[in-house]
Amino acid sequence: MEYLFYISGAAAVISTFMVIIQTKAVHALLYLIVSLLSVALVFFSFGAPFVAALEVIIYAGAIMVLFVFVIMMLNLGPEAAEEEKKLISARMWIGPSILAAILLAVLIYTLTRTGTIANPLIVGPKEVGMALYGPYLIGVELASILLLAGMVGAYHLGRGRRYGGPGEGE
Amino acid sequence: MAPDDLRALLPFMILAASPVAVILAIAFYRGHALSFIISIAGLLISFGSLFYSFRYAPRAVTPLLIIDRYSLFFTGLILLATLAVSLISFGYLENRSYRRGEYYALLLSAALGASTLVASSHFASFFLGLEILSLSLYAMVAYTRGSRFSLEAAFKYLVLASVSSAFLLFGMALIYSYAGTMELAGLALVSRAGPSVFATAGLAMMLVGIGFKLALAPFHMWTPDVYEGAPAPVSAFVATVSKGAVFALLVRYFSAFSLHDYPYLFWVLAGISILSMLIGNLLALLQNNVKRILAYSSISQLGYLLVAFLASGPQSFAAVSYYLASYFVAMLGSFGIVAVLAGPRGELVNLEDYQGLVWNRPWLAGIFTGMLLSLAGLPLTAGFIAKFYIVSAGVQAGQWALVLVLAASSVIGLFYYVRVIAAMYSKRLEAVPYGEVPVGGGIAVAVLTVALLWLGIWPSTLIGIIQRMIYGN
Repeated sequence: MEYLFYISGAAAVISTFMVIIQTKAVHALLYLIVSLLSVALVFFSFGAPFVAALEVIIYAGAIMVLFVFVIMMLNLGPEAAEEEKKLISARMWIGPSILAAILLAVLIYTLTRTGTIANPLIVGPKEVGMALYGPYLIGVELASILLLAGMVGAYHLGRGRRYGGPGEGE
Repeated sequence: MAPDDLRALLPFMILAASPVAVILAIAFYRGHALSFIISIAGLLISFGSLFYSFRYAPRAVTPLLIIDRYSLFFTGLILLATLAVSLISFGYLENRSYRRGEYYALLLSAALGASTLVASSHFASFFLGLEILSLSLYAMVAYTRGSRFSLEAAFKYLVLASVSSAFLLFGMALIYSYAGTMELAGLALVSRAGPSVFATAGLAMMLVGIGFKLALAPFHMWTPDVYEGAPAPVSAFVATVSKGAVFALLVRYFSAFSLHDYPYLFWVLAGISILSMLIGNLLALLQNNVKRILAYSSISQLGYLLVAFLASGPQSFAAVSYYLASYFVAMLGSFGIVAVLAGPRGELVNLEDYQGLVWNRPWLAGIFTGMLLSLAGLPLTAGFIAKFYIVSAGVQAGQWALVLVLAASSVIGLFYYVRVIAAMYSKRLEAVPYGEVPVGGGIAVAVLTVALLWLGIWPSTLIGIIQRMIYGN
């Protein structure tokens, strides 16, 4: 089982590095999805399939939605379509695709060979739920306050400029 | 959770409910005064309930939090400091017209993060508390969005704090992989089991994360910029509550280490302490900006605190607690003065702006003098007793090198404090557009002055409370 961890770990490191060095947000997002998928596989190799699934659903799913939004906003006319074509050139999607293909191959190989993951300690949804609403209950509450603070901060900082200047507001 | 657990948690629950109340109130009616009153009420009720939950202490509420005298004492300190910050902020924000209500929600959640830190007994609550604190602070530092300096400061804080959080998390993971427990008490196991690469690397990384939060010497680069760019009340909060909470946690868990089992850890911390004292005080000499001077001063103050921490033993607990209380008062007062003096056109931060302050605002000049003298550690102020306490703890532990550096750097420090004071009492060059002194800020600064003198002349009350906290009788 160790090869699954090492291969997906390496994929995570490579793709995260690529996220940092991209100049266009859309290209960085492509690599970010791969990075999140490889982290999901790392969780999977540790015997936490539920967390792996959550990682894919929440992070990769949310990033996909962001991606679609960016594409939608760019799609405003013929020149924008031209711009869009430039964004999705072969050079840009080939790297993330190769990494994703490697991850898929490793996953399929593991599943077909062993039928399941060999880790004896599989942490399923039930265990996660019992931990979160048992000893870690306060942690869940604190995380909610963390999200509240993040939301308030993002709302205040992200509001349009026109409300921002002195003399405005209230 | 048993009912008694909930009773012990009452101050935290009230504190957690108050930012929610502020947000809900904003949804219906957006008024600065309303948000302010709700936050003051939340802080006061939470402070009052400390005495109620005191009866149920000590008690471990789930593995995450421990409610005992120590955490209640520091929670009380944090609540009072937050109260002072919100009083100072009210007048400050009134002058700068932005959407002001959200500020109080962020301030209250930051206070909750800080109190979670001092009560945490587990990596999870430690990290969550730290993140609540940092996340609220990013937005608070950038709160006056019109100012480029604020945005720059917030951005620096965001990037560096995230990096330091990553270090902290990695360190926690390494220690978990070694000790097999995420409870902070497990750190003591690490020391007993003898040295190992995992434990050493984990401890080093955790210290990097903590050192960043405390702005200790090799990790202090962000401090002056952030303090300069942030609104003055927020700088006060970063300098006091944010640092104090992390330091209280450090003292509680790393003193369990019995540092002598881990000599290299002791020497690393001693080096950090010496560097902080020297760098903080020497670089402050070069500054011409009052907020930057205070920032460097806070770096050196944390170096002094490390001396007390390294002395270890109950005496050092008392010294750290007393020093933190007096440092809170003096720092809040100093930044409070900067905030109170801020005119509608912006903060007055250059030394020239303070030239001849005494002829214009004699009371404020007097109060500022007191606060600076306390930071310098001169008699009749809280800072003197606090520094005395630290030196005596250091001498009892035989840490002569540290005590000597402390004495030498205090003398250097005296010079720049006196420079600010001399500017205030010198002749006026021209009229400076000082703002009206806001009522809330005025009250806060006056109360802080009383506290400063009271702690300096009549320290036995607080020392009594601290002794009861430590020895529990």
